Amino acid sequence: MPIVNIDGRKVEVQMEATILDAAQKAGIWIPTLCFHSSISHLATCRLCMVELDRGDWKQLVTACNYPVRRDIVVSVSSENAVKARRGVMELLLARSPESEQLKELARRMGIEGSPYPNVTESLRNCILCGLCTIVCEEVIGKSAIGFSGRGVDRVVTTPFRQLSEDCIGCGACAYVCPVGTIQLRVHEDTGEIEVSPFKSRAKLLVCEECGRRLVSEPVNKYIMEKVKIDLAEFRKYAKLCSVCRRKKSANILSLGTPMNDDDRKTENIKCQK
Amino acid sequence: MNQADVRIDTFKSLELYRESVRGHARQTAKIVRVCCGPGCIPKGARRIYDLFRKAIDDAGKRDITISLKGTGCQGLCERGPIVTVDPGNIFYLQVHEEDVAEIFRETVLQDRIVDRLLYHDERTGAGIRTSQGIPFYQGHVRVAFALCGVVDPESPDDYIGAGGYAALAKVLSSLSPDQVIDEVTQSGLRGRGGGGFPTGRKWRSARDAHGEPKYVIANGDEGDPGAFMDRALMEGVPHAVIEGMIIGAYAIGSSHGYIYVRNEYPLAVERLGRAIGQAQKMGFLGKNILGSGFEFDIRICRGAGAFVCGESTALMASLEGRVGEPRAKYIHTVESGLWGKPSLLNNVETWANVPAIILNGSAWFAAMGTQKSKGTKAFSLVGKVRNTGIIEIPMGMTLRQIIFDIGGGIRNGKTFKAVQTGGPSGGCIPEAFLDTPVDFDELTKLGSMMGSGGMIVMDEDDCMVHVAKYFMSFLKEESCGKCTPCREGISQMLFILERISRGEGEPGDLAKLDGLADLLAGTALCALGKTAANPVLSTIRHFRGEYEAHILQRRCPAKVCKGLFFYEIDPEACKGCGICLKQCPAKAISGERKKPHVIDRAKCTMCGTCLEKCPFTAVKKIV
Repeated sequence: MPIVNIDGRKVEVQMEATILDAAQKAGIWIPTLCFHSSISHLATCRLCMVELDRGDWKQLVTACNYPVRRDIVVSVSSENAVKARRGVMELLLARSPESEQLKELARRMGIEGSPYPNVTESLRNCILCGLCTIVCEEVIGKSAIGFSGRGVDRVVTTPFRQLSEDCIGCGACAYVCPVGTIQLRVHEDTGEIEVSPFKSRAKLLVCEECGRRLVSEPVNKYIMEKVKIDLAEFRKYAKLCSVCRRKKSANILSLGTPMNDDDRKTENIKCQK
Repeated sequence: MNQADVRIDTFKSLELYRESVRGHARQTAKIVRVCCGPGCIPKGARRIYDLFRKAIDDAGKRDITISLKGTGCQGLCERGPIVTVDPGNIFYLQVHEEDVAEIFRETVLQDRIVDRLLYHDERTGAGIRTSQGIPFYQGHVRVAFALCGVVDPESPDDYIGAGGYAALAKVLSSLSPDQVIDEVTQSGLRGRGGGGFPTGRKWRSARDAHGEPKYVIANGDEGDPGAFMDRALMEGVPHAVIEGMIIGAYAIGSSHGYIYVRNEYPLAVERLGRAIGQAQKMGFLGKNILGSGFEFDIRICRGAGAFVCGESTALMASLEGRVGEPRAKYIHTVESGLWGKPSLLNNVETWANVPAIILNGSAWFAAMGTQKSKGTKAFSLVGKVRNTGIIEIPMGMTLRQIIFDIGGGIRNGKTFKAVQTGGPSGGCIPEAFLDTPVDFDELTKLGSMMGSGGMIVMDEDDCMVHVAKYFMSFLKEESCGKCTPCREGISQMLFILERISRGEGEPGDLAKLDGLADLLAGTALCALGKTAANPVLSTIRHFRGEYEAHILQRRCPAKVCKGLFFYEIDPEACKGCGICLKQCPAKAISGERKKPHVIDRAKCTMCGTCLEKCPFTAVKKIV
């Protein structure tokens, strides 16, 4: 197995592991934005630049997708690497000056503000890293959103910027978004979830026992189609919240004692929370 | 004999066929070649071709046979349309429709020269009969373009008669794949698309790569502003590109090939498509090529004209039907390219060089050029030079020779200022470095690059800040937007350049541009972004004074940047006609009739209308 010498610390990694894997193993932090362990390497944000020492010359590479195939020497803290990461972060801050998450990450890198003016327009601080589009395609399997336009006009959107028929309101895009561009909103009046800024809405499933809001109905349906377990009991349980489901199971297995009224009251409060 | 019904299935029958084609050609007394290249077609070459066809048909059956060919680019685009008549290689320039009858009557039928249409020596005024005598063609060595402008691109017989597919027969009959790769390696051929990667080494890696199937791809996505060599090649000798690809496929063990051409080159697409069809019918493509058992076929993929699709990984993404965006190349495309399989991508010019190298031997090719850049290179010479067109010269020729000897110097008696090579990834080279020999490494040292071969000559009227701004805005449009440095960095650089050219530059701007250029070179995802700053860096490096004039003195020495120069009326030249006064939208001009007029600088909006309208060129730009 190849050995990565990273800032003087030597770690052994699997063949084809990335420099980022090695850094994590060595306990060295490298800032990332477009990286997520369950998604293909995008390497679009270019924030994780490190310097690879090739003996007679040095090269800046992205840690998140550089595959380790032999023993290598990498520097995270070299002047060039730090300067490159700072430069990229400053460009991102110029584009998306209002993202709290981005500012927080910049502070962790020791960067306050950007020397550059804001010259490109971002939709609600979007840095166009592409995590949302890939999670929707690879993990969820829906491709409800994607890139439209190119260059500075690039934007993440639904097909033809119309309401997406494919969006199931799962919220994965909002979950992976590193800068808070995509947000989930619950509309109390209609019992719907909205994925903003895509305007997709989906009805939320309600726990049949306690009335607590669960996932969106299309997600529930989609999972039912995917898992292919044709068990009436399973189907019934899928419409319960986790607390009620556990309680019901316990009751069926006769492991629990029948609750008194006080217990029921506290449980209900918990559920509603 | 018609190519449609001939299938050549042995090496011997290819030679027999070649002999019969040549025998047939020997019976032809006259050959008229009308250049139908990218420069001549817009000037009416098609119509001239049709008129010759009509003239030949009208002349009816005579005792001499006349062959008419609409060829690929013959080079001197500036003076097109070009018509040559063989035997004698009589070279006519700027032929118009009304000249056709005369050429046909005098030269074709009666062997007399039409002096008026010849190239005339500038000093002596003597007519030069053949292209060899014309300064533009001095020093040309045609390898990739050897048959461009000579053969009819739509006739495989013409190509075969001129020695086509002999290299393929040689490879399939007597060379092992390793020997082919060795030959290409020893020739010293380097990628003609811009990067200059050693072709033999690329082929070796592709051969050694694991995975099936392997793909062979020709990059015909020429996108540099001012470059049209690849287009001329694909339109002029499509069979040479195809033959090169078959040889490459044999060398690496591939049976699938693609030619990626931009759809803005419809004639290239058409001719390549036709050539592929002909090659399939004749047995140069498909199963059991020339009876050797080797199988290979080519398909054409049309690109939608995105500049970034000339980048190898973006090109492959586009071929796969995805958005043409690059990906990281830490694992090379020879190992994992198209659909994750080993893929050998070369520029069309590189491919077109291959048959000649195989036929003439690597030593022949390596004898041309410089220490590290062997052979020849095609350039499209454009801009403010007197003779624009396509040239192919041995590596190592100096820029001065190219621009002043071949190109004939600068137009309209102006002075040379810079030559831009390498397209948007290259840079501008000033007068001081004109004696630099042209090769991959020397141009890189000057902060420019060889690129695919566009060469734009600029004169005193070109502002270097404006040029840098032009290339940055081109790249801003063409950046795919995938990675941060390219998308954001180019916009930031353009923002600063625009500020400078408006006269609002700040003293620290050059340092800021430098910093951003460094950042782009180090962190961008693909070569487009990594080299995007070159036009800016090279102009700052060689023309710092001009930037400083913009920033510190708020003036544009070349008088291009609006607002950084003034319009003034020369009282000597002004006749007081009043045209400028009437046309001025800002009412900034005053003066009595028949007396010199004056521009009020306070009112002038620098629109340039007066300069344009003055019939006596009395309006001058001053700084």
